[in-house]
Amino acid sequence: MATVTRAGFVQDAFDAFLARRDEPDWLRELRRQSWERFLVTPLPTTSLEEWRRTDIRALKLDRFGLPGEALATAELPPALLTELPAALLTAGVELAGQTVALDSQTQDVHDGQLEPELRRQGVLFGSLDRLLVEHEAVLRPHFLSVVDPTHDKFAALHGAAWSGGSVLYVPRGVKIERPLHMFSALRAGAADFGHTLVVLEEGAEATVLGETAGGGDSGLHCGAIELVVGPGASLRYVNLQNWSNGVWHFAHQRAVVQRHAQLQWTIGALGSRLAKVNQHVALTGAGSRAQVNGVMFTEGRQHLSYHTLQHHQCEQGTSDLLYKGALQDQSRVVWRGMIKVDPAAQKTNAYQRNDNLMLSESSRADSIPGLEIEADDVICTHGATAGRVDDEQVFYTRCRGLTRNEAVRTIVAGFFQQVFDRITIASVREALGEAIGRRIREFN
Amino acid sequence: MAEFVRVARTAEIPDPGRQVFEIDQRLVAVFHVSGQVYALDDVCTHDGGPLAEGELEDHEISCPRHGARFDIRDGRALCLPATRPTKVHEAKIVGDEIFVRLLDE
Repeated sequence: MATVTRAGFVQDAFDAFLARRDEPDWLRELRRQSWERFLVTPLPTTSLEEWRRTDIRALKLDRFGLPGEALATAELPPALLTELPAALLTAGVELAGQTVALDSQTQDVHDGQLEPELRRQGVLFGSLDRLLVEHEAVLRPHFLSVVDPTHDKFAALHGAAWSGGSVLYVPRGVKIERPLHMFSALRAGAADFGHTLVVLEEGAEATVLGETAGGGDSGLHCGAIELVVGPGASLRYVNLQNWSNGVWHFAHQRAVVQRHAQLQWTIGALGSRLAKVNQHVALTGAGSRAQVNGVMFTEGRQHLSYHTLQHHQCEQGTSDLLYKGALQDQSRVVWRGMIKVDPAAQKTNAYQRNDNLMLSESSRADSIPGLEIEADDVICTHGATAGRVDDEQVFYTRCRGLTRNEAVRTIVAGFFQQVFDRITIASVREALGEAIGRRIREFN
Repeated sequence: MAEFVRVARTAEIPDPGRQVFEIDQRLVAVFHVSGQVYALDDVCTHDGGPLAEGELEDHEISCPRHGARFDIRDGRALCLPATRPTKVHEAKIVGDEIFVRLLDE
């Protein structure tokens, strides 16, 4: 395929982008506002507290371009679709529906494919680009309201350029048994601006598997995830970031968990050259519950920076965050976690923990938990550990006949088991284990 | 082993002075001091601060963030809060140009 010169993020390119899309005025106006903000906002530097351990001086933003610039969807040769990187989370899973996007454009043949019975019950699932316009009344109130498109330059760019996103809307009381899958793939040199919106109305239930892959030696992801878990609803959301190691990944992700609702949010962070992710959970209703699980596995010079927030706004909320990282080579993981408890949030029970396993001498993990508590009847705790593989464990395992290499792999698998045990979908546990297994270095 | 990469003309970096270059996706600080050139990863091993932005005095560079000092000739950490060396790379002047070769760990 011929190399396409990107126009970068300039006014002419943005005007052409808007012209390519057939959107209502309110949506164009939202994009224009974000674009204006993008233009005046500088790239973050390490002098900002939020970015002090994440250096993006090597990012050349203008090497990338706006969605649809290279090829319109209709021009994609069918054979190209079979060249997509393989999805991992769907092996052996019977899905209720699936979306696939390539280079930030939803592939029409994969738009939704929702079970007819669910469609009859009023479930909406498919391309956000299409459904946001077709079902404006139910989706517009949530769109770009859970995540703040003014937070930084990347959030603003996302607000202006989002494309190829996916949406799930589940009406009151509807329980979806089988998982739904949202897949985003990138070719080398391309940019992904996928937006994920999931809305569960009162008493609804669903499981969503989100996944990324591809990107070659250079790619950009500038994305957002918005999750709304209505009163008494239950959402299980798995998000596997499996880009190549050449992708710059900037993401703003936030969930709102309402009265007596529950969220289980599991992330796998395996790919990207550099990832800067803000993952926030707001417990906005009494008795809401959130469990956040994370697995991070790094190699080479990967740099993953995850900032998490458990924000308790109402009484009797429970949140529990467990992030586990294993680091190889010269890679680096930064986790900044915050538990924030508002004055009204009495009887809060919140926990955050980050454990890191250093598999090489030159890897580095920074764990920075924080507590900001304004109520006086709460239980809030945190923990962080970082350590090498215990030689005693290696010795014990080798006494059982394993080689050193097998011993270390077994110990790494055991290290992650605590997170895996929380994942209730067997195929997801297997997929994550397999993806990590492929990346483990030989040990001597 | 990596090849030498031309990064600048010698006159482009004042003596004494420094400049940061991206080489093979690495940020490398090149120092020009007393007619010699030196190259280091532009990362303070204490907390990831950008070394080249700090104060340069003789052959010592201070991290602008917490004041850790490193010897630009061999990357040694000279005082707390840094305890580990930063990575040194090979640098040379050929004619009127500066070349750097990355030395991988």
